[in-house]
Amino acid sequence: MTNHADYLLYADAVAKRYPDGDVRALNGVTLGVRPGEYVAITGPSGCGKSTLLNVLGVLDLPDAGEVYFKGEPLSKRRDLDTFRARQIGFVFQSFFLMPTLSARENVQVPMFEGPISGRAERTKKANDLLELVGMGHRAGHRPKQLSVGERQRVALARALANDPPLLLADEPTGNLDSANAAKVLDLFSQLQKARGLALIVVTHSDEVAARADRVVRMRDGQIVSDAAPVATTTARTISG
Amino acid sequence: MTFVAFIFKNLTQRPIRTALTVLGLSVAVGSMVALMGIAKNFRASQAATFEERRVDLVTLRGGDAIQLTSEVPEWVVREVGTWKEVEAIDAALVDMTEMQIREPRDRDDVPPSKPVVLQAWMPINFGFDDMEVTEGRKLGVADEGKHYAMLGTEFAKSVNKKVGDTVTILQKKFEVVGVFKTSSFYEKGGVLTLLKDYQDLSGRKGVVTGFSLRVRKTTSDPDAEVEAVRQRIMALKSEKGDSLRLTPERPEKYLDNASHLKITAAMAWMVSAIAMLIGVISMLNTMAMSVLERTQEIGILRAIGWPRLRVIQMVIGEALLLALVAAVFGSIGAVGATHLMSLFPQVNTLIEPGIAGSVIVTGTGFALLIGLLGGAYPAYRASRLLPTEALRHD
Repeated sequence: MTNHADYLLYADAVAKRYPDGDVRALNGVTLGVRPGEYVAITGPSGCGKSTLLNVLGVLDLPDAGEVYFKGEPLSKRRDLDTFRARQIGFVFQSFFLMPTLSARENVQVPMFEGPISGRAERTKKANDLLELVGMGHRAGHRPKQLSVGERQRVALARALANDPPLLLADEPTGNLDSANAAKVLDLFSQLQKARGLALIVVTHSDEVAARADRVVRMRDGQIVSDAAPVATTTARTISG
Repeated sequence: MTFVAFIFKNLTQRPIRTALTVLGLSVAVGSMVALMGIAKNFRASQAATFEERRVDLVTLRGGDAIQLTSEVPEWVVREVGTWKEVEAIDAALVDMTEMQIREPRDRDDVPPSKPVVLQAWMPINFGFDDMEVTEGRKLGVADEGKHYAMLGTEFAKSVNKKVGDTVTILQKKFEVVGVFKTSSFYEKGGVLTLLKDYQDLSGRKGVVTGFSLRVRKTTSDPDAEVEAVRQRIMALKSEKGDSLRLTPERPEKYLDNASHLKITAAMAWMVSAIAMLIGVISMLNTMAMSVLERTQEIGILRAIGWPRLRVIQMVIGEALLLALVAAVFGSIGAVGATHLMSLFPQVNTLIEPGIAGSVIVTGTGFALLIGLLGGAYPAYRASRLLPTEALRHD
């Protein structure tokens, strides 16, 4: 029997059905992610990978099955917002930075729900995180003054605001050119190693998947393979 | 960054909409503050005069919808004035009239006129005691029948009249013998003549609008002494034995019941209620649009861990901040408007410039209520947004 406590996050036979169109987005998916592990989820559009990411990130609850965090079933928790704020960092394809805030202020947005209560501490933490992602010199700039690659690095700093042990990323390089994508992926790798972060990345990109410890391939709401990536950058994902 | 700074920066996202909303709310709040301020000044001015003159009782005829139509027989004033319990008495025939500012140039010329509060006093009125004469002299017993007038300083200034000039009241020329001021804005902005002259002119012989008096206090219970005089006035009958319907009241109660103050206050509140409703609808529209446009943004905030309460605080905070800024601009506008109105000759003797601090506090309270009511539903809607909706937009 699986010991859920061995995993940072463990999805046990989760299922999700959307009422519109009677679609089975997830059909009994079981997936465990250990602390510090880098997992890439790939598959064709509509295969359920974003739904799985939502369920793993407690943005959506499964109709059946259970998600465990450090062995604790999340369906029993009542403070899922606080849980998300403190345990999970999110990185999105479109960055979703607040346009009226500077990079430094954007990084502080999740901190309102984090353990830091003072303004000065929040500012210092934001500056430190921006330095970490190589954006310290652009801390006072607003998103529209930054390149897309810089915006994604700021978004990454924001995801780390409350020092979560788990980072979820949905197509993090989808809007980036190859040079910027490489920089962001390098950052992911550095953070994974330096901070012991577990990473779950939904991607269509072979390059992203190739850097992962495991590549989980999905089709029709189910996992069809879960293995180490092919050792070359030409590794292919299953496409629909 | 503080949460308040975050809220403020959200409002800068749509600067033109924010500015227009603040402008609209400022007009609504300014209207409220200006009208309530005028009503408050109206009452405060009368209250200050009563206090300065140490008035114990104010008597009018009961049942008149408008106090200007009150008629109390003059013999009542003279009789009450002889009572040993009464220290001093002050009676007036009060009228709101149009005064011609200059003589007609020819038969077809209609000279400009100005609305003015006219008071006709008995020469023995104690109101003369605290009057400060800035030019000329006071009216006295010897002036009866001579059609002399005194002008309040504000009125004299607004019509550019001085001692020796004439003013025309009910087509009768009155010579100006003095210019005066008292604590009452409406006396400063009005005209004073003698009772007998105006009774003859207006065809209201033998009556006054009302009277006020000071009770002679000789015991340790002055309230009981005032009450005894009040009861005695109420018991007065006409020669035929009919009730005179006299309603002597303490000044504070008189001000509470005064129909002209009630009408002014009611109008102020009615317009305020309409302004508030418009303000709430305007705020509701602005915040609902703002939430709708930021569906994705709010969803992301929820995704990164903001609970529903934090989202509600954000939207309500934005609405309250808008309302607060509107209260500041609206209050400044209201104070400015009363000063501006005091420059117009048509109304400058009727509207006292300036707004009481308590009215600005009330106006700010109303503005915040507008923010709360207008922001509540959009905040609720925002709090119900699902983070997955935002991600689906992605």
